[in-house]
Amino acid sequence: MNSSQKLQKKREWTPLSILGLLILILFAVICVAPFIYMAIMSFTQSTTKILHWSDVNFSDFTNFNYIFNKSGFIRALLNSVIVVSCSCFFNCVVASMAAYGFEKKNFPGKELIFRIYLITLMIPGQVTMIPVFIMMTKMKLTNTYFALIVLIINAFGVFLIRQFMEGVPDELLEAAKIDGCPEYRIFIQIVIPLIKPVLISLIVFTFVSSWNDFLWPLVSTSKSEMYTLTVALSLLKTQYQTNYGLVMAGATISFIFPFILYVFLQKQFMEGIALSGIKG
Amino acid sequence: MNKKRICIAASALALGLMSGVSASAAETINFWFPTFASADGEVTDEEFWNGVMEKFEEENDCEVNVTIVPWDNYEEKYMTGTMATDGPDVGYLYMEMFYDYIDNGMLTDIDSYFTDEQKENYIYYDLGNLLGGQYALPVVVGNPRILVANMDILNEAGITEVPKTLDELVEACEKIKESNPDVAPFMQDWGNAHYGSLNEIYWPFFWSEGGQIVDDEGNLTIDSAEGLAATEFIYSLKEKGILDDTCTACDDTIEPFKNGEVAMTFMASSNALRVDTVNWDYSAVLSGSKDAQTFVAADCLVMFDTCENKDLAAKLMAYATSAEVMSQFHKQVSEQPPITLDEEYEGDERFATLFTEYGDNFKSLPVFKSASSMYDQLFKNLQMMMLDQKTPQEVLTETTEYYNSNLS
Amino acid sequence: MSRKQKEAMQGIIYVLPSFILILIFCIIPIFMSGYFSLTEYNVMKPPVFIKFANFQKMFQDSYIIDATKNTLLYVLITVPIQTILSLLFAAFLAQKMQNKAGGFLRSVMFIPVIASSVTAGTIWRIILNTDGGMLNNILNFLHLPSVNWLGDTKTSLLSICIVAIWKNVGYFLVIYYAGIMGISKDLYESAQVDGANKIQQFFEITLPMLKPITYLVVTLGIIWSFQVFDLSYLMTGGGPGQSSVTLVMSIYNSAFKQYRMGYACATAMFLLVIIVVINILEDRLLGGKKEEKR
Repeated sequence: MNSSQKLQKKREWTPLSILGLLILILFAVICVAPFIYMAIMSFTQSTTKILHWSDVNFSDFTNFNYIFNKSGFIRALLNSVIVVSCSCFFNCVVASMAAYGFEKKNFPGKELIFRIYLITLMIPGQVTMIPVFIMMTKMKLTNTYFALIVLIINAFGVFLIRQFMEGVPDELLEAAKIDGCPEYRIFIQIVIPLIKPVLISLIVFTFVSSWNDFLWPLVSTSKSEMYTLTVALSLLKTQYQTNYGLVMAGATISFIFPFILYVFLQKQFMEGIALSGIKG
Repeated sequence: MNKKRICIAASALALGLMSGVSASAAETINFWFPTFASADGEVTDEEFWNGVMEKFEEENDCEVNVTIVPWDNYEEKYMTGTMATDGPDVGYLYMEMFYDYIDNGMLTDIDSYFTDEQKENYIYYDLGNLLGGQYALPVVVGNPRILVANMDILNEAGITEVPKTLDELVEACEKIKESNPDVAPFMQDWGNAHYGSLNEIYWPFFWSEGGQIVDDEGNLTIDSAEGLAATEFIYSLKEKGILDDTCTACDDTIEPFKNGEVAMTFMASSNALRVDTVNWDYSAVLSGSKDAQTFVAADCLVMFDTCENKDLAAKLMAYATSAEVMSQFHKQVSEQPPITLDEEYEGDERFATLFTEYGDNFKSLPVFKSASSMYDQLFKNLQMMMLDQKTPQEVLTETTEYYNSNLS
Repeated sequence: MSRKQKEAMQGIIYVLPSFILILIFCIIPIFMSGYFSLTEYNVMKPPVFIKFANFQKMFQDSYIIDATKNTLLYVLITVPIQTILSLLFAAFLAQKMQNKAGGFLRSVMFIPVIASSVTAGTIWRIILNTDGGMLNNILNFLHLPSVNWLGDTKTSLLSICIVAIWKNVGYFLVIYYAGIMGISKDLYESAQVDGANKIQQFFEITLPMLKPITYLVVTLGIIWSFQVFDLSYLMTGGGPGQSSVTLVMSIYNSAFKQYRMGYACATAMFLLVIIVVINILEDRLLGGKKEEKR
């Protein structure tokens, strides 16, 4: 029917669109090639940058062994997982509570505070980094997970969820209230399930930014036990600069974890990002 | 019920996170040391120091937390570390870093913690007397930057000896260029991210031409006729095609040297010993028109003022620098000359006479305000010179101006 | 307690955790930063009030001037290119390839997004290596001359821009793609009836309908780009010379290498002002949808 008609139209391949397709494929290749290069390189013992196929030995896990046993990479991986998952969890809890408060409750000064929230969206973390660093040192909070997690929580999540929460009908909440449902249960059992898509979106967003975070962990951790993966990798890079195979093995390990997650949760990733685009 | 449980779980989690991981013994002491071990060495720095500290921990019923700090962001790590809760008690600083730490009263004068006997045993104890106090205990003294040459390539070009003067260096390079155009006659890592490379690629030339970094009052004096001569010399190496045009992309000379791609390069003596793939020889120092000097490290252990148990920290410093530990360090991690009288030199025989013969030709960096920032600026300007975007004179005047207006 | 008061109480309780965090870690630090920027402060000694001396110094500091130039240049290169590329790719995929293959291409292009910029920087540093890096090998293979990517003042910043674009396109592509899919098909059908070709449709329907998304993509792109640090720190360390230092890097250096917290805060305030001004300009140009919903 209609759809087959559309399919027909889509198959109109003009020379221009073939060119477009080629460019697109080329770009896609460029997107993955560096990672393939990285993975292959991590199986070499070479100290030259040129990849010689003769150096590659896929049964040789020396580099990975070294990284797992001798550098604090495992600890850093664990730290990153803890930090990222806690960031995602707390950000969702705090942001959805605030969004619910802003959208469904009335209190004096509400819109003013929300406007301040919007303004803080414009302030990059690097601008506030120094005072926050000084505060953290004075409160003896550097080198803690707390310091690494707390800065991830920002106004973006509140803003994002509030947009979405407009779609939650007030009548539903009213009805629940009339049934005598206590307030916190309305929030947990009615509101949270309804905003699940946007929560996934926020989790993806938080995941990407927290996993990527480099400057703040670099500044706020001075003990090797507290390094996150990004910091550990950057140090590996400087320490073993010329041992390209080893550095690439480190990069592979730091890449593989989010990659596996992405492969399994691809749909959620894509939809999450897309939703943040439409609603944000 | 449900909510309560979540609350309890969440707060327990939060508390657990805040308290971090430090569930520790009675007395802990933080020991920070930089990386020395090579990537393919038998032990890593962590393994070495953790192993060595076991004995100390047992004897003094304490726990030593060893943190190994890589060179590249060394200063930042110390800066953030000394301010953090768990900063170093005993650390390792190089000359460029001392001024700020002493000036801000962050280091302890260790003189009273050491007996006269101990002090006499240290060959370089007086080097740690800085800005009017014994703020430092020299631990790695040595590692001079020497000119290392691949003798096979040199012989091929008809040269039998490693150059001993700057002129000879240029001459040798020209010959090598003719006889073997595939190798780089001379290599310098101008693309390094850290200014520490200056120790190999600039100061030996600067000093040999008679330059002086600061005068006795701590004023910057790099902008002098001597400094200009040295800077122009480096620039001329590039102009003559001895240094490659892409030298600002080169961040390592050791591997290319090992792979036989380079005829000559300056490197630390301990790194030279790791080269086992080529037939090399060295020249300890190159004479210039006025002098003959090369860089030597004079890195020290320090005790931070925030340290709670200073006696224990002093004991740790003494232990770490004892012949017992240092001889192992020199054997397993990084080959260096002894720092105490009771340690025998057991290193490579090629360097046996290096210190006795050339002691007067080795120089370490001066201690002055914002030293590291000055070096950083100078390094960046020199890079611009190597890219033909600044003249040697501009490099020196602009660095001096920048230092005087922003850093001093 | 009246019902209204009770509701207000509840609202406040819900908002409170987030408000406290944002107050402590965002709003108060901004004012502290503002105060420190007027002082000389090295953390170990108490701050000394020096009025606007930091700012005066800053505008004569070649390091900051270069950093500002580089950061602006970086924004001017990356933001338009990544926006246009992701828009074109998304439009193409939506029009021609709403199938498995298209979905696969989208997922592939998203991969650089999930790798951290530290990972990306580490890999690209080796790929872009002048002497024997993969890219130069490919160029040589095609009989083109090698480029001194990271070792030349002319190309170092450009190389960083390329990697940034490479890393960001996938992200914005997904946003754009969803936006295009959200446009009603009827619009296109009626345009087709009017005889508009694909390219006309793109300019007359797709582009105007995507305006709010473009606003978001550009805003995010600008804010992210001004924060550039990781890539430049890992790939060039700001060099050679000062050709790839960025504002955030100069904040980092002043604060954590030179112990000049006051000066670093002054630079941070300067960065904030630039971002705010550019955001306002962009708002005027693209006519944001910021408040229309409320």
